[in-house]
Amino acid sequence: MKPAKEIRVGNIIMVDAKPFIVLRSDVNGSSRTGFTYKWKMKNLLTNAPLENVFRGDDKFDVVVLDKKPVTYSYYADPLYVFMDEEYNQFEIEEENLGDALNYLKDGMECEAVFYDGKAISVELPTTIVRQIVYSEPAVKGNTSGNVLKEAKIENAIESKQHTVQVPLFVSQDDSIEIDTRTNEYKRVIRN
Amino acid sequence: MNQSTTPVTLALFCKVVDNYGDIGICWRLARQLVREHAIAVTLWVDDLKSFARICPQVDTQATVQHVDGVAVYHWRDQEGTYRAEDVADIVIEFFAVDIPPGYVTAMAQRAARPVWLNLEGLTAEEWVEGCHTLPSMHPRLPLTKHFFFPGFTGKTGGLLREVDLLERRDRFQQDAGGIAAFLGGLGLAPAEQRACKVSLFCYPHAPVAGLFDAWRRGGAPLACLVPEGVAKDEVRAFLGAEPVAGASRTQGMLTVRVLPFVPQADYDPLLWACDVNIVRGEDSFVRAQWANRPFAWHIYPQDDNLHHKKLRAFISRYCPDIEPLERFALAFNGVTEPAGDDWLPLWQAFSGAFESLACRSANWQKAVLANGDLASNLLTFAASVR
Repeated sequence: MKPAKEIRVGNIIMVDAKPFIVLRSDVNGSSRTGFTYKWKMKNLLTNAPLENVFRGDDKFDVVVLDKKPVTYSYYADPLYVFMDEEYNQFEIEEENLGDALNYLKDGMECEAVFYDGKAISVELPTTIVRQIVYSEPAVKGNTSGNVLKEAKIENAIESKQHTVQVPLFVSQDDSIEIDTRTNEYKRVIRN
Repeated sequence: MNQSTTPVTLALFCKVVDNYGDIGICWRLARQLVREHAIAVTLWVDDLKSFARICPQVDTQATVQHVDGVAVYHWRDQEGTYRAEDVADIVIEFFAVDIPPGYVTAMAQRAARPVWLNLEGLTAEEWVEGCHTLPSMHPRLPLTKHFFFPGFTGKTGGLLREVDLLERRDRFQQDAGGIAAFLGGLGLAPAEQRACKVSLFCYPHAPVAGLFDAWRRGGAPLACLVPEGVAKDEVRAFLGAEPVAGASRTQGMLTVRVLPFVPQADYDPLLWACDVNIVRGEDSFVRAQWANRPFAWHIYPQDDNLHHKKLRAFISRYCPDIEPLERFALAFNGVTEPAGDDWLPLWQAFSGAFESLACRSANWQKAVLANGDLASNLLTFAASVR
């Protein structure tokens, strides 16, 4: 049993004895009871999509599925193709990739998740490094720690270009570390 | 919902974490559901002593009692077995409290499953609109809970408001004699009644000493009315005596007067009679909005300063263009610090904006009224998922 706050995009959970894949997780601050988790999920038996909210301490059975390290290879409309070390290819539907699409990059390493022998999703590492391809310059003198700006990060798919909120001191072409569970900036990486 | 001969039953579970906000909101909602919607309400509350401070009729020793038509159960622990027949038609967990597991099991055994709601805290943040009324399937039982968020827009559940509240308020505020009698009843001398009257209800960490200092040096007489037990240390220091109900002292332009801690039902006239209200938490925050007077909100503190976000979200909805209120509210909540640690310029700017705030308040109420009231919205939603 895992609390909602520990469940990640790509995990398969059992809800009312049915397997659901978590496709997207939005975490929001709430009352003193903690955070609210809004999940986009899909019933793996019926393919029906579903949106639910949970408290951070709601507990779920997480289905342990076969996983295998793979790298992102290419897009074969409408499927995304990943390859393992033995050059076996696995095709995954776009809707099953959920937030992983935001970070897709040629050669990206991740883990393919299998259900009934079929690759159904990928799990990303908890943190991931991506370069900023566009961000407005910082406003001089505005150093408040709370002030953030938008930054577009590199992505294999033009139409999926993803934006992350970063502090003002972060610049275009910087590489940043992102927490894939929350889609939040963690730190800038400079040599 | 109230058409059938058998009343709809509703159970409301409330855990008092601290202060009076939790039970304050639940009690207000429970009474309104009984009075205006003929719902048979059972209120489960774990702390009868806190409850008794806002509702003196409550017997703090009773396991079960009836108050104002509401069945009040002392919620002692998570133990106990319940039958399906014990379960209400609508079950509300307030602020995501854990309902006793036995009760949840009984909910699943009920032939007609109850409507199960998690009534969440009030925030003006935009994300609430995307989560309001969304389902939350139980991981193991055939039950679905729905999240219900109060709020300020039509995409949320609205605010608590009794059907006759605004009419009562208008009547009171138009009755100068009645206001004088009310304030006189609280012990205010005629000079205090003529002064700018500020009600002060805040958490202990509020910067009250700085505010007292500014008011003392201010250009006009000001009467600060503070309930017994609130800002105790600062009030004691100002009075030079114990801050018991009835105590008062004038220094410079400021008179501080300690009021008895009034039951919930008597709090509204105080807000209506004052020129400015400083309120805290959620329940009094909403009442201050209905009072149609300038107000500042002392927000309940949360980890990682989440409350700063909530405060900014409210300000940006309520008065993005009235900067003096924003600056005062941010400083009063510790988001910023007053320049030179002097509260006088902030207060003077805030009081200079009272006219604009009066206009804003009227427009704000119109907009919020259009969203209906929380109790009615909640029942309409419950009927839609039954």
